Amino acid sequence: MSKAEKIEPAIEENRSAEFPTPYLGRTVRIVGPFVNVDMNQSPHPKNQRGELGKPLFNWYHNTVSKDPLTRVSAPNHFADRRHFLSTVVNQAAKGKINPKKVPVNDPVAMARHIKAVAHYMGADIVRVAKAHPNYLYASGGGRYVQDGTAKDEYASYTPEQMARTFPYIIVATTAWDYNKLQAHRHLIGDAAYHVSQIKGNMILKALEGYIKELGYTALRGVAVPQAAGIASGVGELGRNGLVISKEYGARVHMPDPIMTDLPLVADQPIDIGVDDFCKVCRKCANTCPTNSIPVGDKVVHNGIEKYKINWLTCYKLRPYVHDHWGSCLTCAVVCPYTKPKTWWHNLATTSLHHCPYVLRPVLVKFLKWIDDEFWGMVRNARVTWLGYDSGVKPGEHACTVAGCTASHEKAGAHAVSGNTGYYAPLKENTNRFVKREP
Amino acid sequence: MNFKLPWSGKDSHKDDPFWDFFVNTAPADLTNTVTELIRNAPAGNIFPTKAELHTPEITASHVKGMAQYFGVELIGVAKLDLNAAANPENLPFAVICAVHADYDPRTSPGIGGQMPVQNGLFITFVLSSWIRELGFRATVVRDANTDALAAQAGLGTLNGQGKLVSREFGAGVYVADAIYTDLPLAADG
Repeated sequence: MSKAEKIEPAIEENRSAEFPTPYLGRTVRIVGPFVNVDMNQSPHPKNQRGELGKPLFNWYHNTVSKDPLTRVSAPNHFADRRHFLSTVVNQAAKGKINPKKVPVNDPVAMARHIKAVAHYMGADIVRVAKAHPNYLYASGGGRYVQDGTAKDEYASYTPEQMARTFPYIIVATTAWDYNKLQAHRHLIGDAAYHVSQIKGNMILKALEGYIKELGYTALRGVAVPQAAGIASGVGELGRNGLVISKEYGARVHMPDPIMTDLPLVADQPIDIGVDDFCKVCRKCANTCPTNSIPVGDKVVHNGIEKYKINWLTCYKLRPYVHDHWGSCLTCAVVCPYTKPKTWWHNLATTSLHHCPYVLRPVLVKFLKWIDDEFWGMVRNARVTWLGYDSGVKPGEHACTVAGCTASHEKAGAHAVSGNTGYYAPLKENTNRFVKREP
Repeated sequence: MNFKLPWSGKDSHKDDPFWDFFVNTAPADLTNTVTELIRNAPAGNIFPTKAELHTPEITASHVKGMAQYFGVELIGVAKLDLNAAANPENLPFAVICAVHADYDPRTSPGIGGQMPVQNGLFITFVLSSWIRELGFRATVVRDANTDALAAQAGLGTLNGQGKLVSREFGAGVYVADAIYTDLPLAADG
């Protein structure tokens, strides 16, 4: 037995004494031994090193999008990096912590203040999680390195030391525009996703700077966004592997949260019935173009009981569709929780929250029936926005702007008529390159 | 607990003991502010292939729609004097973006007080990058002339101090940096 193996159980014991297994709501349960996530083993870094094969490597590094807005807002496929705001924001030098610390006598007031500040900057959801070693990336270079660097004086800290020194994780996030999102698997849906993403990145950077101006430490690239999102009650983990929020459903980003020693008050995980809904619904599993979402039960993965998606098949779709759109988003769009922020959506989630557990399957079946009646299995609404039109077949060019008399060289194809958007029968199209389980 | 109305704006932060710090205390290290980062970022290249455009009127409405999606509250296009000294690249149009300002950024140096500037920089950065990706020139210009251009573009009128006053926000409006461009647009005002 090597030295490392001997030491490990001792660390594990200490962790359980000082940091008891956290309650993460009903969708996720920590049931066994847990190994902290090494960010370098996650999809994008793996692909950056070329471990997912040539087509994906090439897609990541060597493709330029045909769409001007995607070249400005998506995290790669730009013609010029300087046009991508997150590069500017993340590569910047780190500011110094203000030596004149603002005294915080009332953590409740500070928690309220930091949420008001984030909302004032444009964030849609802001919650605070109590730090726990299980939410953090593995020590020793396992952190999330953004475009810049995650280097700071705490790089050598273990997750336990980190959680001890910085007891709070602030999760601030932006939601995707509902109407644009209806044109998912389309450049309009991409716009909903990517523009709110760069806005969210800027807000988090501004919030990080503000915490430093208050005189406290603000660290990035340390905490796993989904874990912090669930622990802080941004949402619950769905079958599609996405954090499903109360107000926006699955249409929220999970950006890199801020870990801090600013005195705050932690929020608790929420219960909006995602666990009960996912047992019944399976809309995302049925419509996923690559069958990456399980139809079956939860599994235990790395000591955590949850629905486990197949990220590799999900990821593999991307180079094939690159010419027409960037982000699939189908599982987020079809999710019955993904709705506009309205009183009737609030009514549905609130009634799920207050419904006793035994009666929830009945309520879920009723709500699912309403969802199927009004939204169908998958949205194929026709969306037109600033010259984009989901009624035009991907790859074809047509000008459908009313009153446009300009001569278009490429335009020639006709848009589909009526209110139905062009909807590629993707399941059939993707059968040829995604291996499906029998 | 105070009763809050959703439209009470900045007054809804009256019971927040840290709000004054947020709005009025100048940052000790400017590197901590996003505004400084974006303002100092160099402009990128113009995409070599020009995008297929619609008529100038429709292109102008698309530029405005895109900016509105980025969060702009008032937007207009002003025609520029091609031979003016302030326009060394001889660009024909200026896209003028404005956002509401709860606090005057000139007198509120805190990160919160500078929020209109931050919102304006987000819009002008992404919008000018997008115009360059369309294959046209777009230069972000900050000079004393911006408020006058905003008035020219029909966003409002100038007050005695030469500052824009709009119908929607009164004097509580911040005119972001102008985007000078040769994108074929239709001028307002």
